[in-house]
Amino acid sequence: MTVRIRIIAVLLLLVATMVAVPFINAQDAVESSIVSADWLAENLDNPQVRVIEVSVIPGVYERGHIPGAVNFVWHTDFVDTVYRDIVSADNFQALVQAAGINQDTTVVLYGDNNNWFAAWGAWIFNLYGFEDVRLLDGGRVKWEADGRELSTSVPTFETGNFTIGDINADLRSFKADVLSIVEGENAGTLIDIRSAAEFNGEIFAPEGIQELSIRAGHIPGAINVPWGQNVREDGTFKSVEELRELYAGLGIDGTGPIVTYCRIGERAALTWFVLRELLGYEVAVYDGSWTEWGNSVGVPIENPAGTVWGGR
Amino acid sequence: MSESTQGGSLLNGAAPVTFFLSRRAVWQSALAVLILSIIGVGAFILHKTPGSGATASFSLLVGAAIGIVFERGRFCFFCILRDFIEPDGTGQRNSGGLFAILTALAVGGIGYAIVFGAFLPNAGAGRLPPQAHIGPVSPVLVAAGVAFGVGMALSGACISGHLYRLGEGYARAPIALFGALIGFGIGFLTWYTLYVEMLVRAPVVWLPSILGYAGSLILHLAVLGGLALFLLRYLPEVPARVNGKITVQSIYRSLTQERWNPIATGALVGIIGVFLYFRVEPLGVTAQLGSISRTILDNANVLSERLPGLDTFAGCATQVVDAIMDNGWLIGGLVAASFSAALLSNRFQVSQLTLRNSATALLGGILQGWGAMMALGCTVGTLLSGISAFALSGWVFAIAVFAGVWLGIRLRLHQS
Repeated sequence: MTVRIRIIAVLLLLVATMVAVPFINAQDAVESSIVSADWLAENLDNPQVRVIEVSVIPGVYERGHIPGAVNFVWHTDFVDTVYRDIVSADNFQALVQAAGINQDTTVVLYGDNNNWFAAWGAWIFNLYGFEDVRLLDGGRVKWEADGRELSTSVPTFETGNFTIGDINADLRSFKADVLSIVEGENAGTLIDIRSAAEFNGEIFAPEGIQELSIRAGHIPGAINVPWGQNVREDGTFKSVEELRELYAGLGIDGTGPIVTYCRIGERAALTWFVLRELLGYEVAVYDGSWTEWGNSVGVPIENPAGTVWGGR
Repeated sequence: MSESTQGGSLLNGAAPVTFFLSRRAVWQSALAVLILSIIGVGAFILHKTPGSGATASFSLLVGAAIGIVFERGRFCFFCILRDFIEPDGTGQRNSGGLFAILTALAVGGIGYAIVFGAFLPNAGAGRLPPQAHIGPVSPVLVAAGVAFGVGMALSGACISGHLYRLGEGYARAPIALFGALIGFGIGFLTWYTLYVEMLVRAPVVWLPSILGYAGSLILHLAVLGGLALFLLRYLPEVPARVNGKITVQSIYRSLTQERWNPIATGALVGIIGVFLYFRVEPLGVTAQLGSISRTILDNANVLSERLPGLDTFAGCATQVVDAIMDNGWLIGGLVAASFSAALLSNRFQVSQLTLRNSATALLGGILQGWGAMMALGCTVGTLLSGISAFALSGWVFAIAVFAGVWLGIRLRLHQS
């Protein structure tokens, strides 16, 4: 082989690698963040894998869950019931240990309502420094629609050795952080994942949901990307390429920090999951969300519809 | 139409060899089979609805099963209590029907203990099993039970009784059920006051959280067994059994012509209730009725959108609805299947209506609607499903209902 051909071959290989790397990375990101129902079905007996259901409709877990799955209750397990805050570090460590989770366990979360609350769970796991946490693609709805196996027996496990390490504080935004973005002190893009009607201030809460804020509208400068745009009809996530294109089309390309919010924070966790785990962007959840912002004294809002709470 | 009369025989001639049905009986049977087939096909189609289809379909089938068992076993709380409270012409009380209720509670308790063990392995964890009818115990519950019992005496049946007797052609039933809708409406309007005055502080007592599942079940069966022993003396003489071979005709006859044995009836009611709790929700018959009232009041802007506390208690939950709930399918199946059973047994007969018995049915229905609203269920939802779930509220409601029926009969409110 002549030297020239060798050089060309090496160059070609280099180019091929450069082209392929983003795809390989994308594939890795998908594999380390979401699992398919097929993968989960094959790994139900794998002691390295722990499945956790996070559903909010009462009785859903009890009447049949993925075999071996543990039940975490969003209203009491993932939030503090007294402070308005996420679950405390001590309580979270105890909860996770009781589910038999070790440092090296792979945690798979799933739930009803399009994995909203499961995504919140994934966010909490990440906040408390546990990285290998994945979502079941399509959540509970798709598992059921596919006619897969369910069980009513509640598993018990030996206490695991999971301990909370460094808290990943970058994943969470507070009101002051958001205000500094609004006032231009810090760079950042705000994504409001609620419906257009909520975003525009036409309604104060989604249909059938109690009104919890006394101002309607959105945080100034926020971009409206309803959460449903992340998923396909069957509830599974769109491909990484589709998602990258969707957000790039709105000017969100991962070059700066992002903050997602919704009404109480749970749906914002789903978009957070997509942007961080699938696209690898720098993103935090503002879990105070509109129920905090829309009630706060002295923070600016944008309300294109001009609705006045309680007014006629 | 009196519920205690024996059904007429469909069989012409007693000869066991020939099996001849009158022309009317053939038509009635054909209609009954048609209705039951429609329920079956309906359940099949309903099951395909994405999301809610499976529970709606199961509820429809359970409703049909309950309708048949209620009709064939005469599982009418008022008739059963009246037979016991009011001595017959010879001065005899009849406790026979009460054994159906006791059996339903015993079987239901065993079944609930089994299901609870899977749903909530640790009864002492400080949580309640999902959706089980464990309600607040307060003077409101007692008042609701007494009102409900008096309403039963006035209108001639409880709400579940009216539903299945509607299928038998009991003309007072639709009036009483309409009254129940009004009663529910009054209940919603009185809810806020009674909630902040009493219910908010009322204890929600679930026996397994204190005694565990085994302890609760032992106590449950002991109390029911004690009651059964006490009631034995009020059992009328059992007719001598006729010997003979079991044939297709004799099976048909005992299924469609003769009253089902109270023990068998009660056991079936208990098992069906457990199955429904396991798959969908606890057995109850008022959630859809109450929700209709709530939706009407909501649409008329009479009711505030949120009733504080109401949506946090477990029970026959009412909501503002724009579609048929699982419970709606259940009571639809109940009425239709009871109608089929009545046709097969030749018991369908439209009863006489007078101004007086219509008025008492309406008034009794209103009292029952209010009682079922404040007690978060009726003799099925709060009494049967509550006691089976080891809720103290179920027992308190049962005693109050008994007192109400007793009072109603003493005041001769049922003789209208």
